[in-house]
Amino acid sequence: MGSTMSDLSKKNNLEEIDHFDRLPDSLLLLIFNSIGDVKALGRCCVVSRRFHSLVPLVDSVVVRVDCVNSDDCSSSSAAPASGRSRPRSSDAGGLDLGFDQNSVLSHHSPTQVLKFFKEIRCLRIELPGGEPGIDNGVLIKWKAEFGSTLDNCVILRASAVITAANSACSSACNVNNDNEAEDDNGNIPESFYAKWTVSSLISASASHYMLQPIIAEHRKLDSLVLTDADGQGVLSMNKDQLEELRVKPLLASASNRTLVPSLKMQLWYASLLELPNGMVLKGATLVAVRPSEQPKEVIGSEGNWVASKLEEPFGTAARMLMKRRTYCLEMNSF
Amino acid sequence: MSSSTELTEKKVFLLKSLDGVIFEVEESVAVQLEVIRELIEGDCARPFISLYNVTSEILALVIEYCKHHAETCSGGTSATIADEDLKTFDNEFMNVDENILLELCSAADYLDIKSLFELTCRTLASLIKDRTIIEVRKMFNVENDFSVVEEKAVRKEFAWAFK
Repeated sequence: MGSTMSDLSKKNNLEEIDHFDRLPDSLLLLIFNSIGDVKALGRCCVVSRRFHSLVPLVDSVVVRVDCVNSDDCSSSSAAPASGRSRPRSSDAGGLDLGFDQNSVLSHHSPTQVLKFFKEIRCLRIELPGGEPGIDNGVLIKWKAEFGSTLDNCVILRASAVITAANSACSSACNVNNDNEAEDDNGNIPESFYAKWTVSSLISASASHYMLQPIIAEHRKLDSLVLTDADGQGVLSMNKDQLEELRVKPLLASASNRTLVPSLKMQLWYASLLELPNGMVLKGATLVAVRPSEQPKEVIGSEGNWVASKLEEPFGTAARMLMKRRTYCLEMNSF
Repeated sequence: MSSSTELTEKKVFLLKSLDGVIFEVEESVAVQLEVIRELIEGDCARPFISLYNVTSEILALVIEYCKHHAETCSGGTSATIADEDLKTFDNEFMNVDENILLELCSAADYLDIKSLFELTCRTLASLIKDRTIIEVRKMFNVENDFSVVEEKAVRKEFAWAFK
């Protein structure tokens, strides 16, 4: 009757029916939610009109950042590059973490890319790994939580990681050299911990600062995790912490990062720490950092919050270290 | 119906597919279909339960999945071995064509089997993720309903996705 050739070829043959037609939008959206990767989602938008209208509604997105130099990477074809003079609040709020440009793969900042997704609740951003200046063999893991400012941070460092088979002396050394880090007065000298503690905190606070425009734009966001590809540092913000930042703006330091408040820190050390899985950490040092003035109650017993931040086997390492002597330290705001 | 022997025997239920095929399943399998759980618990599942949205081909697969999961979980093996076993089974189970996957996804949603639903969503997502636009269209028979001009514009809009 009124049906044209093209209608027939589209729908009448069972073989040619769009396989997704049998799924309602709500189901298709749940599949899209499992995709995560923002580039794959972007490509999906070009598949068909239906995809184009549904994909921007996903609530879970993973952004893998290719490069993090704002001068080279963040200006898109739509926004003419104007170097550092462009306004911070605009969509050019790229990832300016002071890294060198190692590629020009991405000409779009996460802020711009994420503009397409209005319903994001759960966002994960992965920065490229390989921060220059980290010595070979050194293990460092930090996990920081932020609200308007630093809430807490746990840092575990080991000067080397060895497997049990290679460390014949482990138990003997374990007992003898425990106090090698102390000075004559039984204190931990600042040179022992300050450099890498500060560098972890600077890295965390710079990341926190550059997340601002994303948090401001995505009001529905209730979980935000930023990590680097080699899993060295993780910054996270939960629903309450995100809300705190929205209500109470952060204080910035001079160098485009969030001001780190004055801190009280606890430090534990073991010259050799053998974990149950056979891994041995040399010069294992754990630092737990909190602001000197902590307005919020810390939930759980003192020890639990520290160990629970780190992934295994490092959570176990933290638990073992915390049975040792605790050194209490302070650090000024920076 | 309610003889005393029924207590010692394994309870079985009859599930009827869209195309009229009747499947006999044990209670441990049937309870995994959340959609009929209430019927079972309220003893309203006689003589059989009609599942209007699921064909016999798909229902057979769903039952195979639930059966394996029920057996693995109730078997005497330790939790880690059971986990490994289920992972292997799930991977193998997902090794079907994308058409079946979509049907399974839709059935798992209708029957309210959370683990199977999540498994199919994850699998479909990874199929889409690693493919080009043309491959996705072809694989799922999605018609490109953009005009040439529109598609060009959309590709430009999402240019960052093609880097």
